[in-house]
Amino acid sequence: MVQDKKYAFYLGCIMPNRYPAIEKSTRYVMEKLGYELLDMERAACCPAPGVLRSFDKEDWMVAAARNICIAEKMDVDLITVCNGCFGTLQEVNLRLHEDEALREKVNEKLKLLGDYEFKATIEVKHVAALLSIDIGPTEIQEHLVRKLNATTAIHYGCHFLKPSHVRQIDSPEDPTILEDFVEALGIKSLNFKQKYTCCGAGGGIKAAYADTSMTILSEKMKHISEVNPDFILDVCPFCHLQFESGQDWLKKNHNINYDIPVFHLSQITAYCMGMDEKYMGLQYQNNGKKYELTPIEVQAND
Amino acid sequence: MTSNTKSESINDFLKEKKKYVDISEFDSHFFDDIERRSKILTCIQCGTCSASCESGRWTALKTRIIIRKLILGDLSVLKDPDIWLCTTCYNCYERCPRDVRPTDVIIELRNYASKLGNIHPVHRKVVDYLKATGHAVPINDKIKQMRKELDMEEIPPTLYKFKDEENSDLTRYAKELFNLVPPKGEKEENKDTNKDKEKKA
Repeated sequence: MVQDKKYAFYLGCIMPNRYPAIEKSTRYVMEKLGYELLDMERAACCPAPGVLRSFDKEDWMVAAARNICIAEKMDVDLITVCNGCFGTLQEVNLRLHEDEALREKVNEKLKLLGDYEFKATIEVKHVAALLSIDIGPTEIQEHLVRKLNATTAIHYGCHFLKPSHVRQIDSPEDPTILEDFVEALGIKSLNFKQKYTCCGAGGGIKAAYADTSMTILSEKMKHISEVNPDFILDVCPFCHLQFESGQDWLKKNHNINYDIPVFHLSQITAYCMGMDEKYMGLQYQNNGKKYELTPIEVQAND
Repeated sequence: MTSNTKSESINDFLKEKKKYVDISEFDSHFFDDIERRSKILTCIQCGTCSASCESGRWTALKTRIIIRKLILGDLSVLKDPDIWLCTTCYNCYERCPRDVRPTDVIIELRNYASKLGNIHPVHRKVVDYLKATGHAVPINDKIKQMRKELDMEEIPPTLYKFKDEENSDLTRYAKELFNLVPPKGEKEENKDTNKDKEKKA
């Protein structure tokens, strides 16, 4: 049995190295909910399920298993905030739990990387699933300091829910968990055209074929802007980066200035749970700097 | 019975693919793998994959055609840059009525293309970052400052932080994982000297 109320906090790349405010917010939320987050020393890239898996699936799996081993040694489940990291780690963890022969093969190669052995003892969790399902819209209300009077365009991203037979979280075609959750924070989720489409960042195309990637995002931004949300809400730092850099790209190349702020679920939840606004990090982002949060204080009930 | 048909088809397939790619190291495993893992032969060419494709709406990526070519043994797909336009959104994977799992097929194809050295220079750079820092997206000074301002540890406790340890995990990681086949034309020797240079640096 793994330890209760503790998680190994898997950072990944984009969150700590581009959007540290998401890390800050996640730590805040988890602590307030009574969880302890343990550092995963020497953890590396997940590695990315689109780009790095494309070069060598075996190495991809070994590198992912190495990360999971770090959490196994601490005897706690692993938690991540990123769809890409979740995609890789959850899938590799599941496959190595199920396939003993594969596990042996991976363990053989893991020895070359240091003192690592995959033992299949822990689970991999996405913070968005923890918040919206394990905690849920009812329980979270007990922890709120304020609600937010705002509208949002929710972006699930792809690897959080798909492949659905592997993830088993919610329907990939019509999910509702995040809508239900943000409603508990006072936020109204808006419907918009092609809500569940990809942001265009994955699969290595953002790196190698940036214009294509941005074209996919542009269509998405067009539909989002039609409903005029106060902010975009995502559950993945890579989608987050795409929404940020995509709006910059549109400004520069097409003279379209949407200027819509982008928040990760952790940032918004942390704010509603009482975190100081400056730690949300909007001041470091390129879009929606002028956005003013409109909180509604919640009466404390003991 | 099935195996005979299969080996015949594989022989034809091998003959055919020689027209397109330098396959000295290749053998029938390629076809075996993809078929075993993805059941591509059950594809009925309904086109649900292409119709659901997020990238294909804007690009020349036609997943149905890629699967079709594979079934026919046409390995030109390995040189086709289109296979690198998939965003791995998994729409086709979710909706395929024959459970072909096209996203996995594309990943598999990319793996084989990589073994032939067909990797985009920018993607090679991503691997360089990974090997140098343990991250596909490494930290920089601006972010370090940002972390400080947010009252956080300046450098997160990832592999990068421990890079200077003796016999560090990062060194082993870089040595053992993601050793890409060099681009065509670049000889193995060059690659080795490059590695030496990196070590010295």
